[in-house]
Amino acid sequence: MKNVTDSFLSLGHWPSAGSFGFNTDILATNPINLSVVLGVLIFFGKGVLNDLLDNRKQRILSTIRNSEELRRGAIEQLERARTRLRKVEIEADEYRMNGYSEIEREKENLINATCDTLERLENYKNETLHFEQQRAINQVRQRVFQQALQGALGTLNSCLNSELHFRTIRANIGILGAVGEITD
Amino acid sequence: MNVIPCSIKTLKGLYDISGVEVGQHFYWQIGGLQIHAQVLITSWVVIAILLGSVIIAVRNPQTIPTDGQNFFEYVLEFIRDLSKTQIGEEYGPWVPFIGTMFLFIFVSNWSGALLPWKIIQLPHGELAAPTNDINTTVALALPTSAAYFYAGLTKKGLGYFGKYIQPTPILLPINILEDFTKPLSLSFRLFGNILADELVVVVLVSLVPSVVPIPVMLLGLFTSGIQALIFATLAAAYIGESMEGHH
Repeated sequence: MKNVTDSFLSLGHWPSAGSFGFNTDILATNPINLSVVLGVLIFFGKGVLNDLLDNRKQRILSTIRNSEELRRGAIEQLERARTRLRKVEIEADEYRMNGYSEIEREKENLINATCDTLERLENYKNETLHFEQQRAINQVRQRVFQQALQGALGTLNSCLNSELHFRTIRANIGILGAVGEITD
Repeated sequence: MNVIPCSIKTLKGLYDISGVEVGQHFYWQIGGLQIHAQVLITSWVVIAILLGSVIIAVRNPQTIPTDGQNFFEYVLEFIRDLSKTQIGEEYGPWVPFIGTMFLFIFVSNWSGALLPWKIIQLPHGELAAPTNDINTTVALALPTSAAYFYAGLTKKGLGYFGKYIQPTPILLPINILEDFTKPLSLSFRLFGNILADELVVVVLVSLVPSVVPIPVMLLGLFTSGIQALIFATLAAAYIGESMEGHH
């Protein structure tokens, strides 16, 4: 029995077998299972991975294309804005050359017209003044004449009585008599 | 009496098939330290895979990306998105850190599950994912801890320690405990998942070599990928949590 237990005990010592080398025991090194596992992994993983990577690539491509589009659009807009700017500048120059003289002329015309109108108005004013003056003077004269005539009339009325009448008749008879005498 | 040597021989034969050596490491002696060389070797392979593939893919950058460049740009976008979701606005400086964590853990987990490491036989121990060693995962978790401390201290200065009494001072011991449990949980979660998956696959292979382990291997791929994502997300979340809070 001691032999048996001794043998069993010696089995308990791990064999310090071996040095470096290649283990060619198929069952221990497990290449079949490994290759199956690798095969499954590659088979399923390849599809998934390719999908992921393709998606990523497409996303990158589309992003790049989008930014190219935007860039081109922006450049076109810049070009259009630049041509508009140039056109506007040319027009501004034209205006500056022609338009200013026109403005000057218009200004002159306006000033002249205004001066004329002013003159006319001035004349009207003077005429009206004059006219009013004359009217006033005429009115005054008329009143004066009226007053004078009224005065005279009054004097006459006051003086004209039968006495004066007799005297006048007598004077006239005297004159007529004198004239008659002369012609005789 | 001949029966027993026969049974012993068959038992030895069984042991030859089911060589599950857990806890047996391949040691190198550097100075006074013993290091786990199998972890170093596999880590170097992972680093070579990462650096090599990136160098090859980014050789001729085009505006419209080709396959490799597209793939790596997609990975970078993924990591950036992850950092941005967790950290917030100042996520820029942390993307390399989170990316390194994620990529290293992911590639090491998947290399452990997919590459035929057992073909190369070491004197002791065996090659597997570098993250099945607790030293690796602790080595990943401690810088994460340091990172979120650094983030909090540079952003808030010594006012960072005010967060220990948020929301109430009664929770102070729990908050202090959290600083220890965070790296602990990160490292153990990753280590446990990867080692357990590896062990399950190895045991199943030793029992039924051909078809049965396949679903478990697929599950292992899935969970190891998730674990990488979880590690990176939690790291980013811790960093974001310690940087936030200017309410």
